[in-house]
Amino acid sequence: MASESARMSSAAEARFRIDAPNSKGRAIKIIALDAPAERVVRRLAQASWNRASFFTASAFAGPPASGESFSMTGWLSDVAGRTKNLIDDVACADLIVMVATAGENAHAATIIGEAASAKRVNTTGLIIGGAGKSDEALAKTLAQLRPWSLMLVIAGADDYVEDMLVALRA
Amino acid sequence: MLRKEQNDLLTQTGPGTPMGQMFRCSWIPALLSEELPERDSPPVRVKLLSERLLAFRDSEGRLGLIDEFCAHRGISLWFGRNEEKGLRCPYHGWKYDVTGQCIDVPSEPAESGFCNKIKLKSYPLIEKGGILWTYMGPPEKRPPEPSWEFASVPDKQRFVSKRHQECNWLQAMEGGIDSSHVSFLHRGDLGSDPLFKGAKGNQYNLGDARPVFEVVESPGGLYIGARRNAENGKYYWRITPWVMPSFTMIAPRGNHSVHGHFWIPIDDENCWTWSFDYHPIRELTAAEVAAMREGKGVHVALIPGTYRPTANKDNDYLMDRAAQKAGHSYSGVAGFAMQDASVQESMGPIVDRTKENLVSTDNGIIMARHRLMRAAKALVEKGITPPGVDPEHQKIRSVAIVLPADVPYKEGAKEALIAKPGVAPATV
Repeated sequence: MASESARMSSAAEARFRIDAPNSKGRAIKIIALDAPAERVVRRLAQASWNRASFFTASAFAGPPASGESFSMTGWLSDVAGRTKNLIDDVACADLIVMVATAGENAHAATIIGEAASAKRVNTTGLIIGGAGKSDEALAKTLAQLRPWSLMLVIAGADDYVEDMLVALRA
Repeated sequence: MLRKEQNDLLTQTGPGTPMGQMFRCSWIPALLSEELPERDSPPVRVKLLSERLLAFRDSEGRLGLIDEFCAHRGISLWFGRNEEKGLRCPYHGWKYDVTGQCIDVPSEPAESGFCNKIKLKSYPLIEKGGILWTYMGPPEKRPPEPSWEFASVPDKQRFVSKRHQECNWLQAMEGGIDSSHVSFLHRGDLGSDPLFKGAKGNQYNLGDARPVFEVVESPGGLYIGARRNAENGKYYWRITPWVMPSFTMIAPRGNHSVHGHFWIPIDDENCWTWSFDYHPIRELTAAEVAAMREGKGVHVALIPGTYRPTANKDNDYLMDRAAQKAGHSYSGVAGFAMQDASVQESMGPIVDRTKENLVSTDNGIIMARHRLMRAAKALVEKGITPPGVDPEHQKIRSVAIVLPADVPYKEGAKEALIAKPGVAPATV
Protein backbone atom coordinates (compact mmCIF):
# COMPACT_ATOMS: atom_id res chain seq x y z
CA MET A 1 0.00 0.00 0.00
CA ALA A 2 1.45 3.30 -1.08
CA SER A 3 -0.20 5.04 1.84
CA GLU A 4 1.81 2.88 4.21
CA SER A 5 5.12 4.09 2.80
CA ALA A 6 7.34 6.82 4.14
CA ARG A 7 7.23 8.18 0.58
CA MET A 8 3.83 9.59 1.41
CA SER A 9 5.35 12.32 3.56
CA SER A 10 5.05 14.69 0.62
CA ALA A 11 3.50 18.13 0.40
CA ALA A 12 0.64 16.71 -1.67
CA GLU A 13 -0.07 14.07 0.94
CA ALA A 14 -0.08 16.67 3.71
CA ARG A 15 -3.51 17.70 2.41
CA PHE A 16 -4.91 14.49 3.79
CA ARG A 17 -3.71 14.98 7.31
CA ILE A 18 -6.57 14.95 9.78
CA ASP A 19 -7.54 18.47 10.65
CA ALA A 20 -9.03 18.09 14.08
CA PRO A 21 -8.00 19.39 17.50
CA ASN A 22 -5.34 17.17 19.03
CA SER A 23 -5.07 18.58 22.53
CA LYS A 24 -6.99 20.10 25.39
CA GLY A 25 -5.92 23.27 27.12
CA ARG A 26 -3.29 22.97 29.81
CA ALA A 27 -3.55 24.85 33.07
CA ILE A 28 -0.36 26.86 33.34
CA LYS A 29 0.29 28.93 36.45
CA ILE A 30 2.80 31.72 36.08
CA ILE A 31 4.19 32.96 39.37
CA ALA A 32 6.38 36.03 39.78
CA LEU A 33 8.96 35.54 42.49
CA ASP A 34 10.06 39.15 42.97
CA ALA A 35 8.86 42.68 42.40
CA PRO A 36 10.43 43.32 38.93
CA ALA A 37 9.14 39.95 37.73
CA GLU A 38 5.74 40.86 39.10
CA ARG A 39 5.58 43.85 36.79
CA VAL A 40 6.22 41.60 33.81
CA VAL A 41 3.64 39.07 34.95
CA ARG A 42 1.03 41.75 35.56
CA ARG A 43 1.55 43.07 32.05
CA LEU A 44 1.23 39.60 30.58
CA ALA A 45 -1.97 39.01 32.53
CA GLN A 46 -3.64 41.77 30.52
CA ALA A 47 -3.45 39.67 27.35
CA SER A 48 -5.89 36.96 26.34
CA TRP A 49 -4.84 33.42 27.27
CA ASN A 50 -6.37 29.99 27.06
CA ARG A 51 -5.84 28.54 30.53
CA ALA A 52 -2.98 30.58 31.92
CA SER A 53 -3.34 32.28 35.28
CA PHE A 54 -0.95 34.72 36.86
CA PHE A 55 0.21 35.09 40.44
CA THR A 56 2.82 36.73 42.56
CA ALA A 57 4.79 35.19 45.40
CA SER A 58 7.01 38.17 45.98
CA ALA A 59 5.66 38.59 49.52
CA PHE A 60 6.51 35.03 50.54
CA ALA A 61 8.47 34.47 53.71
CA GLY A 62 11.84 32.81 53.35
CA PRO A 63 12.32 29.05 53.46
CA PRO A 64 12.50 27.43 56.91
CA ALA A 65 15.74 27.86 58.76
CA SER A 66 17.98 24.89 59.25
CA GLY A 67 16.46 22.42 61.69
CA GLU A 68 12.92 23.72 61.35
CA SER A 69 10.28 21.44 59.93
CA PHE A 70 9.27 22.28 56.42
CA SER A 71 5.82 23.53 55.66
CA MET A 72 4.40 23.88 52.19
CA THR A 73 1.75 26.18 53.51
CA GLY A 74 2.01 29.32 51.54
CA TRP A 75 -0.10 31.91 49.91
CA LEU A 76 -0.07 33.40 46.50
CA SER A 77 -1.75 36.51 45.25
CA ASP A 78 -3.42 36.71 41.92
CA VAL A 79 -2.94 39.85 39.89
CA ALA A 80 -6.12 41.33 41.35
CA GLY A 81 -4.61 41.00 44.82
CA ARG A 82 -6.76 38.10 46.00
CA THR A 83 -5.07 35.61 48.28
CA LYS A 84 -4.74 32.09 46.87
CA ASN A 85 -3.75 28.88 48.55
CA LEU A 86 -0.50 27.64 47.03
CA ILE A 87 -1.24 23.95 47.34
CA ASP A 88 -4.70 24.28 45.86
CA ASP A 89 -3.41 26.16 42.85
CA VAL A 90 -0.43 23.91 42.29
CA ALA A 91 -2.59 20.81 42.56
CA CYS A 92 -4.77 21.84 39.65
CA ALA A 93 -1.88 22.96 37.41
CA ASP A 94 -0.29 21.14 34.49
CA LEU A 95 2.79 23.33 34.63
CA ILE A 96 4.18 25.88 37.05
CA VAL A 97 6.28 28.67 35.54
CA MET A 98 8.33 30.62 38.06
CA VAL A 99 9.58 33.99 36.83
CA ALA A 100 12.51 35.56 38.65
CA THR A 101 14.74 38.53 37.98
CA ALA A 102 18.52 38.12 37.96
CA GLY A 103 19.96 39.43 41.19
CA GLU A 104 16.65 39.40 43.07
CA ASN A 105 15.77 37.06 45.90
CA ALA A 106 13.94 33.99 44.57
CA HIS A 107 13.54 32.17 47.86
CA ALA A 108 9.85 31.50 47.16
CA ALA A 109 11.05 28.97 44.58
CA THR A 110 11.77 26.58 47.43
CA ILE A 111 8.22 26.50 48.74
CA ILE A 112 6.61 26.47 45.31
CA GLY A 113 9.02 23.82 44.13
CA GLU A 114 8.31 21.61 47.13
CA ALA A 115 4.59 21.93 46.52
CA ALA A 116 5.00 21.11 42.82
CA SER A 117 7.19 18.17 43.65
CA ALA A 118 4.65 16.83 46.15
CA LYS A 119 1.85 17.16 43.61
CA ARG A 120 4.00 15.81 40.72
CA VAL A 121 3.60 18.97 38.66
CA ASN A 122 6.35 20.04 36.24
CA THR A 123 8.15 23.29 36.90
CA THR A 124 9.93 25.73 34.63
CA GLY A 125 12.12 28.51 35.94
CA LEU A 126 12.66 31.66 33.92
CA ILE A 127 15.33 34.17 34.88
CA ILE A 128 14.91 37.48 33.12
CA GLY A 129 16.76 40.77 33.21
CA GLY A 130 20.18 39.12 33.16
CA ALA A 131 21.65 41.61 30.71
CA GLY A 132 23.65 44.16 32.63
CA LYS A 133 23.64 42.15 35.85
CA SER A 134 26.81 40.68 37.30
CA ASP A 135 27.58 36.99 37.08
CA GLU A 136 27.35 36.84 40.87
CA ALA A 137 23.87 38.32 40.87
CA LEU A 138 22.73 35.86 38.24
CA ALA A 139 24.36 32.97 40.09
CA LYS A 140 22.51 33.85 43.29
CA THR A 141 19.11 33.71 41.65
CA LEU A 142 20.09 30.64 39.64
CA ALA A 143 21.12 28.78 42.78
CA GLN A 144 17.68 29.37 44.28
CA LEU A 145 15.75 28.29 41.20
CA ARG A 146 17.87 25.40 39.94
CA PRO A 147 16.91 22.76 42.54
CA TRP A 148 13.22 23.34 41.82
CA SER A 149 13.15 23.75 38.06
CA LEU A 150 12.91 20.81 35.71
CA MET A 151 13.62 23.30 32.94
CA LEU A 152 15.50 26.52 33.48
CA VAL A 153 15.85 29.37 31.00
CA ILE A 154 17.99 32.44 31.35
CA ALA A 155 16.52 34.94 28.92
CA GLY A 156 18.05 38.22 27.89
CA ALA A 157 14.74 39.97 27.33
CA ASP A 158 11.36 39.99 29.07
CA ASP A 159 9.51 39.34 25.82
CA TYR A 160 10.67 35.73 25.91
CA VAL A 161 8.15 35.00 28.66
CA GLU A 162 5.26 35.85 26.36
CA ASP A 163 6.73 33.94 23.42
CA MET A 164 7.23 30.88 25.61
CA LEU A 165 3.68 30.98 26.93
CA VAL A 166 2.26 31.31 23.42
CA ALA A 167 4.43 28.41 22.27
CA LEU A 168 3.06 26.28 25.12
CA ARG A 169 -0.54 27.24 24.22
CA ALA A 170 -0.95 28.81 27.66
CA MET B 1 3.22 26.23 18.54
CA LEU B 2 3.74 28.97 16.07
CA ARG B 3 1.20 31.04 14.22
CA LYS B 4 1.11 30.33 10.49
CA GLU B 5 2.80 33.62 9.61
CA GLN B 6 5.59 32.87 12.10
CA ASN B 7 6.07 29.41 10.64
CA ASP B 8 6.21 30.91 7.15
CA LEU B 9 8.72 33.51 8.29
CA LEU B 10 11.08 30.95 9.77
CA THR B 11 10.82 28.31 7.06
CA GLN B 12 10.99 30.41 3.90
CA THR B 13 14.53 31.25 2.79
CA GLY B 14 14.17 32.25 -0.84
CA PRO B 15 15.32 35.64 -2.18
CA GLY B 16 13.66 38.57 -0.42
CA THR B 17 12.42 36.62 2.59
CA PRO B 18 13.53 37.65 6.10
CA MET B 19 15.13 34.29 6.91
CA GLY B 20 16.60 34.21 3.43
CA GLN B 21 18.23 37.54 4.22
CA MET B 22 19.59 36.08 7.42
CA PHE B 23 21.20 33.13 5.67
CA ARG B 24 22.59 35.60 3.13
CA CYS B 25 24.51 37.40 5.89
CA SER B 26 26.95 34.52 6.47
CA TRP B 27 29.30 32.23 4.61
CA ILE B 28 27.41 28.96 4.20
CA PRO B 29 28.66 25.54 3.07
CA ALA B 30 27.86 25.06 -0.61
CA LEU B 31 29.80 21.97 -1.70
CA LEU B 32 32.42 19.56 -0.51
CA SER B 33 35.83 20.28 -2.01
CA GLU B 34 35.75 16.77 -3.47
CA GLU B 35 32.88 17.81 -5.75
CA LEU B 36 35.21 20.09 -7.73
CA PRO B 37 38.35 18.00 -7.36
CA GLU B 38 40.58 19.63 -9.97
CA ARG B 39 40.95 22.40 -12.49
CA ASP B 40 38.46 22.15 -15.35
CA SER B 41 36.59 19.33 -13.60
CA PRO B 42 32.90 18.98 -14.51
CA PRO B 43 30.63 21.75 -13.23
CA VAL B 44 28.17 20.89 -10.46
CA ARG B 45 24.55 21.97 -10.17
CA VAL B 46 23.88 23.59 -6.81
CA LYS B 47 20.56 24.77 -5.46
CA LEU B 48 20.86 26.94 -2.35
CA LEU B 49 18.28 29.15 -0.67
CA SER B 50 15.91 28.43 -3.58
CA GLU B 51 18.38 29.68 -6.20
CA ARG B 52 19.59 27.43 -9.03
CA LEU B 53 23.35 27.82 -9.38
CA LEU B 54 26.31 26.15 -11.02
CA ALA B 55 29.72 25.68 -9.40
CA PHE B 56 32.96 25.15 -11.28
CA ARG B 57 36.73 25.35 -10.87
CA ASP B 58 38.37 26.92 -13.90
CA SER B 59 41.66 26.20 -15.64
CA GLU B 60 43.52 28.41 -13.17
CA GLY B 61 41.91 26.86 -10.11
CA ARG B 62 39.59 29.79 -9.50
CA LEU B 63 36.20 28.89 -8.04
CA GLY B 64 32.91 30.19 -9.34
CA LEU B 65 29.28 29.92 -8.35
CA ILE B 66 27.07 31.40 -11.03
CA ASP B 67 23.48 31.41 -12.27
CA GLU B 68 22.88 27.95 -13.72
CA PHE B 69 21.30 29.18 -16.94
CA CYS B 70 22.84 30.78 -19.99
CA ALA B 71 21.79 34.37 -20.57
CA HIS B 72 21.21 33.65 -24.27
CA ARG B 73 18.47 31.01 -24.49
CA GLY B 74 18.26 29.82 -20.92
CA ILE B 75 19.77 26.37 -21.17
CA SER B 76 21.51 24.82 -18.22
CA LEU B 77 25.22 25.49 -18.27
CA TRP B 78 25.71 22.15 -16.57
CA PHE B 79 25.95 20.89 -20.16
CA GLY B 80 28.78 23.35 -20.74
CA ARG B 81 32.44 22.73 -21.45
CA ASN B 82 34.75 23.78 -18.63
CA GLU B 83 37.93 24.73 -20.45
CA GLU B 84 40.37 27.56 -21.11
CA LYS B 85 39.49 29.75 -18.11
CA GLY B 86 35.75 29.58 -18.46
CA LEU B 87 32.59 27.66 -18.98
CA ARG B 88 31.28 27.55 -22.53
CA CYS B 89 27.63 26.91 -23.32
CA PRO B 90 27.41 24.00 -25.78
CA TYR B 91 24.36 25.45 -27.53
CA HIS B 92 25.83 28.57 -29.23
CA GLY B 93 29.22 28.85 -27.55
CA TRP B 94 28.68 31.72 -25.15
CA LYS B 95 31.40 31.60 -22.52
CA TYR B 96 31.47 32.76 -18.89
CA ASP B 97 34.20 33.23 -16.30
CA VAL B 98 33.94 32.42 -12.57
CA THR B 99 32.37 35.80 -11.84
CA GLY B 100 29.56 35.13 -14.31
CA GLN B 101 30.97 37.66 -16.75
CA CYS B 102 30.40 36.65 -20.36
CA ILE B 103 33.80 36.65 -22.08
CA ASP B 104 32.91 35.38 -25.53
CA VAL B 105 29.89 35.45 -27.82
CA PRO B 106 31.10 33.77 -31.02
CA SER B 107 28.28 35.11 -33.19
CA GLU B 108 29.17 38.73 -32.41
CA PRO B 109 32.30 40.55 -33.53
CA ALA B 110 34.75 40.68 -30.63
CA GLU B 111 35.30 44.38 -31.21
CA SER B 112 31.57 45.05 -30.69
CA GLY B 113 32.07 44.51 -26.96
CA PHE B 114 28.70 42.81 -26.80
CA CYS B 115 29.87 40.16 -24.36
CA ASN B 116 30.77 42.86 -21.85
CA LYS B 117 27.09 43.62 -21.58
CA ILE B 118 26.24 40.08 -20.48
CA LYS B 119 26.83 39.00 -16.89
CA LEU B 120 25.21 36.23 -14.91
CA LYS B 121 24.50 36.61 -11.23
CA SER B 122 27.35 35.09 -9.25
CA TYR B 123 28.47 34.58 -5.69
CA PRO B 124 31.95 34.22 -4.22
CA LEU B 125 33.09 30.68 -3.54
CA ILE B 126 36.04 30.00 -1.24
CA GLU B 127 37.68 26.80 -0.03
CA LYS B 128 38.33 26.13 3.62
CA GLY B 129 38.43 22.96 5.66
CA GLY B 130 37.37 20.64 2.84
CA ILE B 131 34.32 22.76 2.14
CA LEU B 132 33.51 25.28 -0.58
CA TRP B 133 31.72 28.15 1.14
CA THR B 134 29.62 30.82 -0.47
CA TYR B 135 28.31 34.17 0.61
CA MET B 136 25.03 35.08 -1.09
CA GLY B 137 24.46 38.53 0.39
CA PRO B 138 25.23 42.05 -0.80
CA PRO B 139 28.92 42.39 -1.80
CA GLU B 140 29.37 45.47 0.35
CA LYS B 141 28.42 43.48 3.45
CA ARG B 142 30.68 40.49 2.79
CA PRO B 143 31.72 39.16 6.21
CA PRO B 144 35.15 37.84 7.23
CA GLU B 145 35.83 34.27 6.15
CA PRO B 146 34.41 31.47 8.31
CA SER B 147 36.21 30.92 11.62
CA TRP B 148 34.73 27.60 12.75
CA GLU B 149 37.35 25.52 14.52
CA PHE B 150 36.54 22.33 12.64
CA ALA B 151 37.32 24.08 9.35
CA SER B 152 40.55 25.55 10.70
CA VAL B 153 42.35 22.46 11.99
CA PRO B 154 44.74 20.50 9.73
CA ASP B 155 43.00 18.21 7.22
CA LYS B 156 43.98 15.01 9.02
CA GLN B 157 42.15 16.13 12.13
CA ARG B 158 38.82 16.48 10.31
CA PHE B 159 36.17 14.55 8.39
CA VAL B 160 33.20 16.26 6.71
CA SER B 161 30.18 14.77 4.97
CA LYS B 162 26.86 15.97 3.69
CA ARG B 163 23.54 14.35 2.96
CA HIS B 164 20.34 15.40 1.31
CA GLN B 165 17.49 15.74 3.78
CA GLU B 166 13.99 15.84 2.36
CA CYS B 167 12.40 18.44 4.61
CA ASN B 168 12.64 22.09 5.53
CA TRP B 169 15.85 23.22 7.22
CA LEU B 170 14.14 24.35 10.43
CA GLN B 171 12.69 21.01 11.50
CA ALA B 172 16.05 19.39 10.81
CA MET B 173 17.90 22.06 12.79
CA GLU B 174 15.40 21.88 15.64
CA GLY B 175 16.26 18.20 15.97
CA GLY B 176 19.84 19.25 16.60
CA ILE B 177 18.93 21.37 19.61
CA ASP B 178 16.24 19.04 20.92
CA SER B 179 18.43 17.39 23.55
CA SER B 180 15.57 15.53 25.20
CA HIS B 181 15.08 13.13 22.26
CA VAL B 182 18.46 11.47 22.74
CA SER B 183 17.29 9.29 25.63
CA PHE B 184 14.64 7.76 23.37
CA LEU B 185 15.44 7.90 19.67
CA HIS B 186 19.13 7.13 20.03
CA ARG B 187 18.88 4.82 23.01
CA GLY B 188 21.01 1.75 22.44
CA ASP B 189 23.52 3.37 20.10
CA LEU B 190 25.70 5.02 22.75
CA GLY B 191 27.09 1.66 23.78
CA SER B 192 27.63 0.25 20.31
CA ASP B 193 28.64 3.00 17.91
CA PRO B 194 32.45 3.01 17.59
CA LEU B 195 32.51 6.81 17.54
CA PHE B 196 30.66 7.11 20.84
CA LYS B 197 31.23 4.06 22.98
CA GLY B 198 33.58 3.74 25.93
CA ALA B 199 33.40 7.28 27.29
CA LYS B 200 32.80 7.75 31.00
CA GLY B 201 30.16 10.34 30.14
CA ASN B 202 28.05 7.56 28.62
CA GLN B 203 27.62 6.08 32.08
CA TYR B 204 26.11 9.34 33.30
CA ASN B 205 23.83 9.39 30.27
CA LEU B 206 22.64 5.86 30.76
CA GLY B 207 22.40 6.21 34.52
CA ASP B 208 20.08 9.19 34.45
CA ALA B 209 17.39 9.02 31.76
CA ARG B 210 15.69 12.20 32.92
CA PRO B 211 18.15 15.03 32.42
CA VAL B 212 17.28 18.54 33.46
CA PHE B 213 17.82 21.27 30.90
CA GLU B 214 19.04 24.81 31.16
CA VAL B 215 18.88 27.18 28.21
CA VAL B 216 21.11 30.24 28.26
CA GLU B 217 21.48 32.91 25.60
CA SER B 218 24.95 33.26 24.12
CA PRO B 219 26.37 36.03 21.94
CA GLY B 220 25.90 33.91 18.81
CA GLY B 221 22.75 32.06 19.78
CA LEU B 222 22.24 29.67 22.66
CA TYR B 223 23.88 27.24 24.99
CA ILE B 224 21.68 24.28 25.79
CA GLY B 225 22.87 22.44 28.85
CA ALA B 226 21.66 18.97 29.79
CA ARG B 227 22.35 18.16 33.42
CA ARG B 228 22.65 14.72 34.97
CA ASN B 229 23.73 13.61 38.40
CA ALA B 230 27.40 12.79 38.89
CA GLU B 231 29.32 11.71 41.99
CA ASN B 232 29.53 13.64 45.28
CA GLY B 233 26.57 15.86 44.58
CA LYS B 234 28.10 17.26 41.39
CA TYR B 235 26.44 17.57 38.00
CA TYR B 236 27.54 16.17 34.65
CA TRP B 237 26.80 18.76 31.99
CA ARG B 238 26.56 18.29 28.24
CA ILE B 239 26.54 21.72 26.63
CA THR B 240 25.37 22.12 23.04
CA PRO B 241 26.08 25.48 21.45
CA TRP B 242 23.73 26.67 18.73
CA VAL B 243 25.01 29.51 16.56
CA MET B 244 22.52 31.33 14.39
CA PRO B 245 21.05 30.45 12.08
CA SER B 246 21.85 26.75 11.82
CA PHE B 247 25.09 25.53 13.42
CA THR B 248 25.30 23.14 16.35
CA MET B 249 27.97 21.05 18.00
CA ILE B 250 27.34 17.92 20.03
CA ALA B 251 29.11 17.63 23.37
CA PRO B 252 32.19 15.40 23.19
CA ARG B 253 32.53 11.93 24.66
CA GLY B 254 35.89 10.89 26.09
CA ASN B 255 38.69 11.16 23.59
CA HIS B 256 36.40 10.64 20.62
CA SER B 257 36.31 13.29 17.96
CA VAL B 258 33.81 16.13 18.35
CA HIS B 259 30.94 16.42 15.91
CA GLY B 260 28.40 18.89 14.74
CA HIS B 261 26.16 20.04 11.95
CA PHE B 262 25.01 22.80 9.67
CA TRP B 263 21.56 22.67 8.08
CA ILE B 264 21.51 24.65 4.86
CA PRO B 265 18.32 25.19 2.89
CA ILE B 266 18.27 23.88 -0.68
CA ASP B 267 14.75 25.19 -1.07
CA ASP B 268 11.88 25.36 1.38
CA GLU B 269 11.25 21.60 1.26
CA ASN B 270 14.81 20.25 1.18
CA CYS B 271 18.05 20.94 2.96
CA TRP B 272 21.63 19.79 3.18
CA THR B 273 22.62 18.28 6.47
CA TRP B 274 26.34 18.91 6.83
CA SER B 275 28.09 16.76 9.39
CA PHE B 276 31.63 17.14 10.64
CA ASP B 277 33.93 15.36 13.03
CA TYR B 278 37.23 16.77 14.20
CA HIS B 279 39.62 16.64 17.06
CA PRO B 280 41.23 19.91 18.15
CA ILE B 281 44.59 18.38 19.05
CA ARG B 282 45.06 15.07 17.28
CA GLU B 283 44.70 13.45 13.89
CA LEU B 284 41.73 11.18 13.34
CA THR B 285 42.72 7.54 13.22
CA ALA B 286 42.29 5.40 10.13
CA ALA B 287 39.68 3.37 12.01
CA GLU B 288 37.73 6.50 12.90
CA VAL B 289 37.73 7.78 9.34
CA ALA B 290 36.72 4.35 8.05
CA ALA B 291 33.81 4.28 10.50
CA MET B 292 32.72 7.74 9.39
CA ARG B 293 32.86 6.71 5.74
CA GLU B 294 30.72 3.68 6.61
CA GLY B 295 28.10 5.96 8.12
CA LYS B 296 28.80 5.62 11.81
CA GLY B 297 28.42 8.42 14.33
CA VAL B 298 26.69 11.43 12.81
CA HIS B 299 27.46 10.36 9.24
CA VAL B 300 25.47 8.13 6.90
CA ALA B 301 26.08 5.58 4.19
CA LEU B 302 25.29 7.16 0.81
CA ILE B 303 24.07 5.79 -2.47
CA PRO B 304 27.30 5.72 -4.51
CA GLY B 305 27.73 8.76 -6.71
CA THR B 306 25.14 10.75 -4.78
CA TYR B 307 24.65 12.46 -1.46
CA ARG B 308 21.37 10.65 -0.84
CA PRO B 309 21.39 8.26 2.11
CA THR B 310 21.16 4.54 1.37
CA ALA B 311 18.35 4.39 3.89
CA ASN B 312 15.76 6.88 2.69
CA LYS B 313 12.04 7.46 2.45
CA ASP B 314 11.75 5.29 -0.66
CA ASN B 315 12.74 2.19 1.32
CA ASP B 316 11.21 3.21 4.65
CA TYR B 317 14.71 3.91 5.94
CA LEU B 318 15.40 0.15 5.98
CA MET B 319 13.25 -0.11 9.07
CA ASP B 320 14.14 -3.24 11.04
CA ARG B 321 11.16 -4.18 13.19
CA ALA B 322 12.97 -7.21 14.59
CA ALA B 323 15.84 -5.05 15.84
CA GLN B 324 13.31 -2.63 17.26
CA LYS B 325 11.46 -5.39 19.07
CA ALA B 326 14.65 -6.95 20.35
CA GLY B 327 15.81 -3.62 21.70
CA HIS B 328 18.93 -3.43 19.55
CA SER B 329 17.61 -0.20 18.14
CA TYR B 330 14.94 1.87 19.82
CA SER B 331 13.52 3.24 16.57
CA GLY B 332 14.26 0.33 14.26
CA VAL B 333 16.26 2.63 11.97
CA ALA B 334 20.01 2.14 12.06
CA GLY B 335 22.42 4.94 12.94
CA PHE B 336 22.08 8.29 14.71
CA ALA B 337 21.81 10.34 11.54
CA MET B 338 19.09 8.34 9.84
CA GLN B 339 17.20 7.97 13.10
CA ASP B 340 17.02 11.76 13.12
CA ALA B 341 16.33 12.14 9.41
CA SER B 342 13.60 9.50 9.35
CA VAL B 343 11.51 11.13 12.04
CA GLN B 344 12.13 14.65 10.76
CA GLU B 345 11.21 13.81 7.16
CA SER B 346 8.11 11.97 8.39
CA MET B 347 6.79 15.31 9.65
CA GLY B 348 6.31 16.36 6.01
CA PRO B 349 8.27 18.83 3.88
CA ILE B 350 7.33 21.77 6.11
CA VAL B 351 5.78 20.77 9.39
CA ASP B 352 2.64 22.65 10.37
CA ARG B 353 3.66 24.13 13.70
CA THR B 354 0.19 25.50 14.37
CA LYS B 355 -0.75 21.94 15.36
CA GLU B 356 2.16 21.03 17.61
CA ASN B 357 1.96 20.77 21.39
CA LEU B 358 5.28 21.80 22.84
CA VAL B 359 6.16 21.08 26.45
CA SER B 360 8.54 22.62 28.91
CA THR B 361 11.55 20.59 27.79
CA ASP B 362 11.16 22.17 24.35
CA ASN B 363 12.40 25.51 25.63
CA GLY B 364 15.59 25.19 23.60
CA ILE B 365 13.50 25.09 20.44
CA ILE B 366 11.20 27.85 21.66
CA MET B 367 14.14 30.09 22.49
CA ALA B 368 15.85 29.39 19.16
CA ARG B 369 12.71 30.41 17.28
CA HIS B 370 12.37 33.47 19.51
CA ARG B 371 15.93 34.54 18.73
CA LEU B 372 15.60 33.85 15.01
CA MET B 373 12.41 35.89 14.74
CA ARG B 374 13.90 38.74 16.76
CA ALA B 375 17.08 38.76 14.69
CA ALA B 376 15.19 38.58 11.39
CA LYS B 377 13.06 41.54 12.42
CA ALA B 378 16.10 43.56 13.47
CA LEU B 379 17.85 42.72 10.20
CA VAL B 380 14.92 43.59 7.95
CA GLU B 381 13.75 46.70 9.80
CA LYS B 382 17.03 48.15 11.04
CA GLY B 383 19.74 46.42 9.06
CA ILE B 384 21.29 44.97 12.21
CA THR B 385 23.72 42.13 11.46
CA PRO B 386 22.39 38.97 13.07
CA PRO B 387 24.28 36.94 15.69
CA GLY B 388 26.54 34.27 14.25
CA VAL B 389 28.15 36.42 11.55
CA ASP B 390 30.83 37.78 13.87
CA PRO B 391 33.88 35.47 13.66
CA GLU B 392 34.11 35.50 17.46
CA HIS B 393 30.68 33.83 17.63
CA GLN B 394 32.08 31.01 15.51
CA LYS B 395 35.07 30.28 17.76
CA ILE B 396 33.01 28.01 19.93
CA ARG B 397 33.11 24.50 21.32
CA SER B 398 30.68 22.04 22.80
CA VAL B 399 31.57 20.87 26.28
CA ALA B 400 31.12 17.84 28.54
CA ILE B 401 32.09 18.68 32.09
CA VAL B 402 31.42 17.86 35.74
CA LEU B 403 30.75 20.93 37.88
CA PRO B 404 29.72 21.66 41.47
CA ALA B 405 25.95 21.82 41.87
CA ASP B 406 25.69 25.55 42.46
CA VAL B 407 27.83 26.74 39.55
CA PRO B 408 26.14 28.30 36.49
CA TYR B 409 27.51 26.18 33.66
CA LYS B 410 28.06 29.22 31.50
CA GLU B 411 30.54 30.37 34.13
CA GLY B 412 31.98 26.99 35.05
CA ALA B 413 32.62 26.13 31.40
CA LYS B 414 33.42 29.68 30.28
CA GLU B 415 36.91 28.94 28.98
CA ALA B 416 36.02 25.49 27.68
CA LEU B 417 33.27 26.95 25.48
CA ILE B 418 35.82 29.00 23.51
CA ALA B 419 37.78 27.31 20.71
CA LYS B 420 41.49 27.78 21.30
CA PRO B 421 43.97 26.31 18.79
CA GLY B 422 46.00 23.47 20.25
CA VAL B 423 44.01 23.30 23.47
CA ALA B 424 42.34 20.00 24.34
CA PRO B 425 38.54 20.02 24.57
CA ALA B 426 36.72 19.72 27.89
CA THR B 427 35.28 16.24 27.78
CA VAL B 428 34.21 13.36 30.00
